[in-house]
Amino acid sequence: MSIEVSGLNKSFGDFVALQDVSVSLPTGQLTALLGPSGGGKSTLLRIIAGLDKADTGSVTIEGTDATHLPAQKRNVGFVFQHYAVFKHMTVAKNVAFGLEIRKRPKAEIAERVDELLRLVHLSQFAHRLPSQLSGGQRQRMALARALAVEPSVLLLDEPFGALDAKVRKELRDWLRRLHDDVHVTTVFVTHDQEEALEVADEIVVINEGRVEQVGTPDQLYDEPANDFVMSFLGEVTHLAGTAVRPHDIDVATAPLLAGAVEGTVSRMLRVGFEVRLTVLTVGGEEVSVVLTRTHARSLGLEVGATVWLTVTAGATVVPAMRPSLAG
Amino acid sequence: MADTLTREIDEPVAPAAPALVRRERRTPMTYVLRLVAAAYLFFLVAWPVSLVATNTFDDGLGSIRALLEDPDVVVALQLSAYVAFFSVVINTVFGVGMSLLLVRYEFPGKRVLNALLDLPLSVSPIVVGLSLVLVYGGREGWLGPTFASWGFDVIFSAPGIIMATTFVALPLMIRELVPVLEEIGIEQEQAAESLGASAAQRFWRITLPSIKWGIVYGVVLTLARSLGEFGAVKVVSGNVLGQTRTATLVVEEKYLNFDQQGAYATAFLLAMVSVACIVVVAIIRPKNHA
Repeated sequence: MSIEVSGLNKSFGDFVALQDVSVSLPTGQLTALLGPSGGGKSTLLRIIAGLDKADTGSVTIEGTDATHLPAQKRNVGFVFQHYAVFKHMTVAKNVAFGLEIRKRPKAEIAERVDELLRLVHLSQFAHRLPSQLSGGQRQRMALARALAVEPSVLLLDEPFGALDAKVRKELRDWLRRLHDDVHVTTVFVTHDQEEALEVADEIVVINEGRVEQVGTPDQLYDEPANDFVMSFLGEVTHLAGTAVRPHDIDVATAPLLAGAVEGTVSRMLRVGFEVRLTVLTVGGEEVSVVLTRTHARSLGLEVGATVWLTVTAGATVVPAMRPSLAG
Repeated sequence: MADTLTREIDEPVAPAAPALVRRERRTPMTYVLRLVAAAYLFFLVAWPVSLVATNTFDDGLGSIRALLEDPDVVVALQLSAYVAFFSVVINTVFGVGMSLLLVRYEFPGKRVLNALLDLPLSVSPIVVGLSLVLVYGGREGWLGPTFASWGFDVIFSAPGIIMATTFVALPLMIRELVPVLEEIGIEQEQAAESLGASAAQRFWRITLPSIKWGIVYGVVLTLARSLGEFGAVKVVSGNVLGQTRTATLVVEEKYLNFDQQGAYATAFLLAMVSVACIVVVAIIRPKNHA
């Protein structure tokens, strides 16, 4: 295990950012810390980097106890959401910074900077100032700068959060491919479940300062530990006391199955190939259902129609334990 | 390492400063406001200062030459330069330290400290001079006699003049640096830290270059203020001709002694140094640090 965090607690005044967090992040993998804003994931990342100090608990990096090690001695690469570029230095100088601090020979630094700039496709911008680069280019430069010192772990704090949607998506794919080439243990923070599901080998879901679940994207999606994880990873609706995905509900126009819940279609919205229904059950629940347009047409659905709902066999269901998170 | 980015990501580069945005429509009010601003500056600043220059050169370069041939005046100019130099050095070192303290750290009494830092700007320099005499005066002061017994005179000698000048010019550097430090934030330094830079390396390689222009402006303001300080210096210097008389005191002395030409010439020299500083900075300052 590359990063071992145990019993971490951290408060900012009255606000509890982390509450007894213990997690192991495996070597060589791309791990996402996923959770809503203010849930503590950035704080955890910053504590691993040594930029924040935990109140209690310990951090071990590559077998070394790093709990009391200052950030400068941890050999971690850190990439900030807002790039944190050195504004007064050229792109090449930015990338060379960590190597110059380590007093490497000039020729070696030049060679390494060259190699890294090629890796992040900024070779032609080596002599520009960061202010002459776009956001995505700045973030790639920041990544090259962090990789230059050959860190034992690479930490990225919402690395694409400040970029627009299209660039974010492209850089996300690029990060995945980069990781497949470079293989440095990487941890990135994100509040975007799609980003985490798409890029990460492993996801740690963090909410309200606690770890809710750790697992691969498939595990998280198919076997969510609780209502929160399930609702955070995709749309969720409630049917007869269970949380279920709207596309995992079967709609019938007659009471064919035992346990089917009777209701009335109160709203119907067509978006492209899918139809979104809101069904008001006799028990007073509002259930969202998604089905394909063809299916909806074959059932002859319309607003006001009476339908019977059942959860599809084999669907992921979780008991709805936290009504406050129903959605 | 393999080529991971299969094609260049298409993203517009942050545009340069927008080229000549069309101004709002000019109305009669625009011209009225311009006239008021111009008249205000002309009657309050430009005309009086230009009269100093014209009076100085009434008889060509004669008055300036006469001034520079007077050994007492030369000593006074040297003393002013010497005092200004130390005031700038002290205020720069403490100004950078204090600004970092104010921006980066939370501590009890921070607001009080912040308010105290404006005191030198708000009280009359005469008060500053008198208060220094109360503490460091050789005969009656709190600490003065002790220093005097060690053979170290503060009041009526150069250390007192430097202290008074430094006191008066103290807030200028800090007020220049605090907004700059607030703007740059601490992320760049945290990035440097995670790249292995020690506190000293972070300061010299990241912080200092980032606040460079703030410091340059602070130095110019401090220098101009220090050269021009009169009230506080008058109280603590003793105004001994050829020893503790600074250039501003020479101006007053000459003016009171009906040597108007000499007074104007000295005033002109003082003004020129400040103007020269501001012009030089305006020229060398890069455009994007507006």
